[in-house]
Amino acid sequence: MKQAILKALLSHYWRHPWQALFLLLGLTAGVGLWSAVQIINHHAEVSYAQADSLLGVQANYWIRNRSEQGIAQADYIELRRAGFRQIFPVIEGQVITPDGQLISIIATDLLALRQSMPEETVDQTFNGIDNWLQLVQKPYRAWVPQQLADEFALIQGDQLQLRDGRQLPPALIQAQTQQGRRIFMDISAAFTLFDTDQFNYITVGQLTTEQFDLLTSLLPDSLALVQNQQQLDLSELTQSLHTHLSAMSLLSFAVGLFIVFNAVRFSLWHRRETLMNLRLMGVSVKALISAILFETLIWSLIGTVSGVICGLTIGNWLLPGLSQSLFNLYGATIDAVIALQSETLLLAWGITLVGLLWALAWPMYLQLKHDVLDANSPTLRHQAENSSRQQLALFSLPLLIMAFILFQTMETAVAGFALLGLLLFAAAWLLPTLLALGLKFAQACVPKQRLIGRWMVSDGWSQMPAFRSAMMALLLAMTANLGVGTLVDSFRSAFIGWLEVRQNADIYVNSSQSNIVQLLESEQAPGKTSLWLADSHRQIGITTRWQDQPTLVNGADTRAPDSLRFPLAQWLGDTPDDALALWRDNSNYILANEQLHYLGGLKLGQTIQLDTDQGPVDYQVVGFFYDYGNPKFQFYLSYEEVAKRWKYHYSRGTALWLKPDSTSNGPSSRQQAEKSFLANGINRADWISQDEIRTLSVNIFERTFAITAAMNSLTLIVAAIALLASLLAIMQERLPEFAQWRALGVNTREQFLIICSPLLIFVVIAWLLAIPLGAVLSWLLIQKLNIVSFGWSMPMLWKMAPAWQLGGLVLVIVIVTLLLSLLQLRRRLPDALAELGELS
Amino acid sequence: MLSIKNLYKSFGQPGGEVCVLDGLSFTMQAASSVALLGESGSGKSTLLHLIAGLDKSQSGDIEFSGKQLSTLNESALANMRRHQISLVFQQFHLISTLSVFDNIRFQAALCQRFDNAFETQLIDRLGLSSLLKKLPHQLSRGQQQRVAIARALLHKPKLVLADEPTGNLDEQSSLEVMAVFTDLVKSAGSSLLMVTHSKEMATFMQRSVLLHNGRLSDI
Ligand SMILES: Nc1ncnc2c1ncn2[C@@H]1O[C@H](COP(=O)(O)OP(=O)(O)OP(=O)(O)O)[C@@H](O)[C@H]1O
Ligand SMILES: [Mg+2]
Repeated sequence: MKQAILKALLSHYWRHPWQALFLLLGLTAGVGLWSAVQIINHHAEVSYAQADSLLGVQANYWIRNRSEQGIAQADYIELRRAGFRQIFPVIEGQVITPDGQLISIIATDLLALRQSMPEETVDQTFNGIDNWLQLVQKPYRAWVPQQLADEFALIQGDQLQLRDGRQLPPALIQAQTQQGRRIFMDISAAFTLFDTDQFNYITVGQLTTEQFDLLTSLLPDSLALVQNQQQLDLSELTQSLHTHLSAMSLLSFAVGLFIVFNAVRFSLWHRRETLMNLRLMGVSVKALISAILFETLIWSLIGTVSGVICGLTIGNWLLPGLSQSLFNLYGATIDAVIALQSETLLLAWGITLVGLLWALAWPMYLQLKHDVLDANSPTLRHQAENSSRQQLALFSLPLLIMAFILFQTMETAVAGFALLGLLLFAAAWLLPTLLALGLKFAQACVPKQRLIGRWMVSDGWSQMPAFRSAMMALLLAMTANLGVGTLVDSFRSAFIGWLEVRQNADIYVNSSQSNIVQLLESEQAPGKTSLWLADSHRQIGITTRWQDQPTLVNGADTRAPDSLRFPLAQWLGDTPDDALALWRDNSNYILANEQLHYLGGLKLGQTIQLDTDQGPVDYQVVGFFYDYGNPKFQFYLSYEEVAKRWKYHYSRGTALWLKPDSTSNGPSSRQQAEKSFLANGINRADWISQDEIRTLSVNIFERTFAITAAMNSLTLIVAAIALLASLLAIMQERLPEFAQWRALGVNTREQFLIICSPLLIFVVIAWLLAIPLGAVLSWLLIQKLNIVSFGWSMPMLWKMAPAWQLGGLVLVIVIVTLLLSLLQLRRRLPDALAELGELS
Repeated sequence: MLSIKNLYKSFGQPGGEVCVLDGLSFTMQAASSVALLGESGSGKSTLLHLIAGLDKSQSGDIEFSGKQLSTLNESALANMRRHQISLVFQQFHLISTLSVFDNIRFQAALCQRFDNAFETQLIDRLGLSSLLKKLPHQLSRGQQQRVAIARALLHKPKLVLADEPTGNLDEQSSLEVMAVFTDLVKSAGSSLLMVTHSKEMATFMQRSVLLHNGRLSDI
């Protein structure tokens, strides 16, 4: 008996494989996008946990030069002689490809590393390298992860060319854990590459208490043993980004569910007779409910499996984008290979089941509850449609109220996304009512005498039930697209404007050696007029922790051109210049970045205490400056103040302004500057021009938002599928009706118009609603969420052009889906015409 | 007006080809009425579909109003139905989103042919005057069928093809509707070819033919 009921119910999908396909597609798309993000988020977390290891060796501590001057080889050799086998020297640096891509290089003593490794780790790490000695012998090897090799089209043995003419050692393409987008090499190769004889720092593995004490006592004064807190910092810093991604994935899941809703609506319509017959045959409601639940269970299993498989694929596809974002924003590296966690699988099944209970089981149950014979009545169907529309609109009210309350109290990113979710769903549930109003309006616009015109518009009432969920999906996708698009555009414009102010020097010299100081002293010696140098700005800094977060205290030349134009977001006094003048003239005033205000809770005018070498010192905050893209806290004091308070400060580079080229035909200022650099032992790799650094920054920006763009287009694709599913369902459901119209002499053109006109009205209404909603979304993202998650404020830049573009894109989607469904209609109409007049 | 010669139609079915119409010939004069009788499955509906250009025969000619249907393309056929042929079926969807009044005028609007006096006559005789503002789903099946009849006749087509138009009404109202229907067809000046199972219905018509073994014969 049970089997017979199930067979009767499920046979529907055999007869309408398209609908089974769409149900599966909706589930797969929704679960897939959701689980993809879940998988990569989890993956990133695992990677952070390993963030303190290098080539499989745990780095519990670092030995660093207090003034970031680097560590002499002699110091390292000394420590190894003292018996420390768990220490490894590291050179870290960045190189730039000819097209302005930044690549990180990390180098260590591979020989020492290999010796200290247990046997299994050696096998794992050096697995597949036939002659590992080639790594540590000239010409060395650059250990390139697969993903980077693909990006730069490198094959085994290729030497990557750099912008300044240098070359990396021959490539050895093999992915390592924790490598991310970094290139590994032996320390000797890095000495040559960076033309240095010093290490950046030394990583230190596990230490016993005695070893710890011994090591501390052995270290010269200029070196410090610091605890590696990277893992903690990374998970803290990156949390917001992961929350953003999760929110987007939940949106995709919702959009996917709309496809399911649509397929279910169709299947209900087709199975109402089956349900009715079963009940007339005396099958109890209870038996039917358990059959429905069983069906839901089957679908949830199928949906989870195919969704998670799809999620793994999407995850792999999104991973490069995510690792770019993470690396650019936080310097975090994540593994190139992702794995599926069993908890992800269970969670995916859980939400699929909940989604299906809501979208499939509940509507079927409601259908059951109707009186046995009435289920089929068109009058009831008409009323049900009206009342469900009103119900949805009514439900959206409490959502709006909840959203409003959340808006007043919101303090975390999670609350912010909950607010966005409430708002979007309230809008989606209001949409059917708006569509109905729009249709009424359109009907009123057609003159009474134009019967055929009125018919075309009024047919929208028949199409409404089929299009309802697709339109909601489209609305959500369009809103997200506009909102997130505006966020990215606003950010891009704020960021580029900010770069122009912050990076307005002509050349930046990164050399920390004293040669730049000498060069500047000689060029700016009293009485001498430099041929090329107009102005310079040397910055120093120290790293400390504030509120237990990594914090940078910079020392700036307060009279340098860029210090005079510091881009302030908030300031004490009437104008930013007042605040800057205070800061310039008074060493106990300090500038703080916005992150300190929004995330650290610092107030304008507040006095803070910093730990200096001479004990705690009080400073008063006179302004907050924009500091885009920086996840860390940052303060600015004067150069003299930092130099005075902290002994071990380090160079933060030097900015140089060039003189305008003289009119005569001599060498340009830039050429003269570069000549002087080389003459003073400053390498080509140590300086970067303004153009180069801007390209670099903008590149980083674009890559950071690549993952957002990818999620945005995926959501739109899912909405397009929802639209296609609805149109095909309409073609199927209304085929007999369409055939009748053809019998009345309605021609192909009119038939086309009647399918198009209501759809176009609906799409236009959804689009019109998406525009203000997108604006609200972007406003919330920019003014609220961005601030609570990253601490960056920026003006919102709203433009209509993206809305028009999106409208155009949606129109193309509508036309393509219409053509596909009309082809289907064309194929099936002859049969429908032949069956005309028979009782169905 | 309508002349059919040697019409042959078969359907491919799981058990093999089934020949439904086998060399059928038939002619019909303008403004005449014919009852089409035959067993269930004998091909009555198939014949009606072929005449209306909704389906294609394997061979044979149908000439309607001086034109060979086989020479007409899809849009020409649609145009022919729109202006000259009306179909009335047992199951006939009215346009659910338009009022009864709009439904009555629908086909007339498609072919731009209005006769106000005739419209009043149709509405009165079919007893629809109190229903004009309602939507189709608010009507009973009998009422719906009468709206379909009004729609089929208002533009005064040359030929009305009816397939058991009263099949789902009870006997009494069937007879009433049929009397009004045939009368109105006459007023419209149209010809009527009507499929029916009942001899009684056939008495409303000038002529009766029987479809048997794929051919027609007068009775
Ligand atoms: N589309 C089709 N495909 C296959 N066979 C068909 C098709 N349409 C009709 N037939 C077959 O053609 C024969 C005639 O069908 P038709 O509908 O014309 O009969 P009918 O005389 O109208 O019967 P009834 O009085 O029951 O309505 C039947 O045997 C039917 O099975
Ligand atoms: Mg029939």
